[in-house]
Amino acid sequence: MSAAAISANNLGHAYGDVIALHHLDLEVPPGRIGLVGANGAGKTTLIKILLGILEPTVGAVNVLGTDPADDLITVRSRIGYMPEGECLPKDQTAADFVAYAAELAGVPPNESRQRASDILTMVGLHEERFRYLGDFSTGMKQRAMLAQAIVHDPEMVFLDEPTAGLDPSGREEMLDLIGRLGGFGINVLVSSHVLPDIEQTCDWVVMLDGGQVLRNGPLSGLTETGVVELEVVDGAELVAAELRRMGAEVDEAGQTLTITSSPDDPFLAARDALAATGTALRKLGARSTTLEDIFLGEAPSDGR
Amino acid sequence: MVDKAGVVYDLGYKPYEGQRLGRSGAIKAMLKDGLRRTFGIRRKARRKIYPWGLVVLAFLPAIVFVGLAFALSSFAPDAESPFGGHAQYISLVGTVIILFVASAAPNLLIPDREEGVLSVYSSRPMTAWDYIWGRVGALALVASAFFLLPNLLMYVGFAALDEAGLAAALIDNLDDLLKVLGTMVAYVIGYGAPALLISTYAKRVGPAAGIYLAVVFISPGFAEMFRTLDFPGSRFGTLIAVLQHPEVIRNWVFDESQGSVPMSAVGFEPWVSILFIALVGAGTMYLMARRYRLEL
Repeated sequence: MSAAAISANNLGHAYGDVIALHHLDLEVPPGRIGLVGANGAGKTTLIKILLGILEPTVGAVNVLGTDPADDLITVRSRIGYMPEGECLPKDQTAADFVAYAAELAGVPPNESRQRASDILTMVGLHEERFRYLGDFSTGMKQRAMLAQAIVHDPEMVFLDEPTAGLDPSGREEMLDLIGRLGGFGINVLVSSHVLPDIEQTCDWVVMLDGGQVLRNGPLSGLTETGVVELEVVDGAELVAAELRRMGAEVDEAGQTLTITSSPDDPFLAARDALAATGTALRKLGARSTTLEDIFLGEAPSDGR
Repeated sequence: MVDKAGVVYDLGYKPYEGQRLGRSGAIKAMLKDGLRRTFGIRRKARRKIYPWGLVVLAFLPAIVFVGLAFALSSFAPDAESPFGGHAQYISLVGTVIILFVASAAPNLLIPDREEGVLSVYSSRPMTAWDYIWGRVGALALVASAFFLLPNLLMYVGFAALDEAGLAAALIDNLDDLLKVLGTMVAYVIGYGAPALLISTYAKRVGPAAGIYLAVVFISPGFAEMFRTLDFPGSRFGTLIAVLQHPEVIRNWVFDESQGSVPMSAVGFEPWVSILFIALVGAGTMYLMARRYRLEL
């Protein structure tokens, strides 16, 4: 059995002549996974294949070690899903619907009602649980949608654009909830085109563009640049000269130096150069980049 | 402005380690939800008025008939019931079933699609067929109850009045009950399948109900028109009378006259109506499977 939470092998899907996913190869570990990409990048198509709603045109996927095409029921027994659009019946109360969602996952009726109550409390809808879903605000609906996705304690939950339509405070609270899911032992796949949301909640990122994988790796590995920045009080040119003598490549901008490469650890090189020149340090740190920078730097510029 | 988004309280999260009922649990949950939805249970009060009104319409005459028969029997023990038997009552409950499925079938299928609830089903241990059986099963169960229970009340009520005694009368009239059961299948499929078919493709509940009622009540008019036309094959046009196929089977089962039913008037035997209902039922299931496979 594969240890990967999700894997894809030469996965492709086309809607008629339109290719949505193009020979994807993926291996994603358990944890909080961000699936990022512009609208139309293939995120929702990938999620629908993982759910077994769509069948791959070519290739195969595995979710928690099982191919949905081979054993749909097993895969669906272990997952939850919060779709991008609404999924709530207007004429039911939150408590009734979330309990029903648990029953649909095989949780016996009595336990379902108890779990619905607990989960609605956890997502901040305790007071509103007996209100009809049709009367809910956008923020409350998003919370109820998250509640139905996790009420049956799935091993993995797919969240498709979970912060869509939320105001800033609602967005922060939703991201906080998503961040906590990992602590509950639930693997999370968050699909979003809002890259800061992914940076805030995930520890692994799959970047899609035009149906292809642009990047796939740990978030820290993607955002670390290996570049060190230091700002000195005075004498930046002396420090720069010393660093160059040590074999480092350095850019200068006023009293700020950027070590873009170094034969040894750039932090140690900076320390030695400062000591050798007797220069006072104001600031030292690694320069990190954002997912947005990476995406804009690597995505084709044709607007796909 | 009041913040309606609520406040998050961290009360922890408890993993669920209890029993999981799997696919069968999912289908049972769907059946229960279907029954609640059709009767407006745990819904707003206005959702209850129509279905419960139909319950009264289906049962009240049976209660009145049996009650009056009791009253009459006390001073005229040998008098025939003036209200007719099961065949006549089936005409009434047939209309109730039409009115019921006109509302229930769209309410069972359309909100799930239009409100996006199908995506919840797609992340539960079930297939598109499980969903279809869950919804069709709920509709069939309730329509059957509308049909069977008032007839059962009459069956037991009239048996209680029989001079031979309740038990003997129940056994003697058992063939009536079997006829009711057989006719029930024809009515439930014959009237339920077209409602499900329309609801599978319609986008709104109201228009779906309206289209269904129009199809059922207007189709005999077209069938009658085909009966009077005189061109090769025009007699097959009489088969579009959705309303009358179950009635043909009822008349046949209870040895009643077919009267002026168009398909009988042009020479079609009752088995043609049985075949028609079976084909509409099978076709509906096939088209539902095609439709729902795209989303589940």
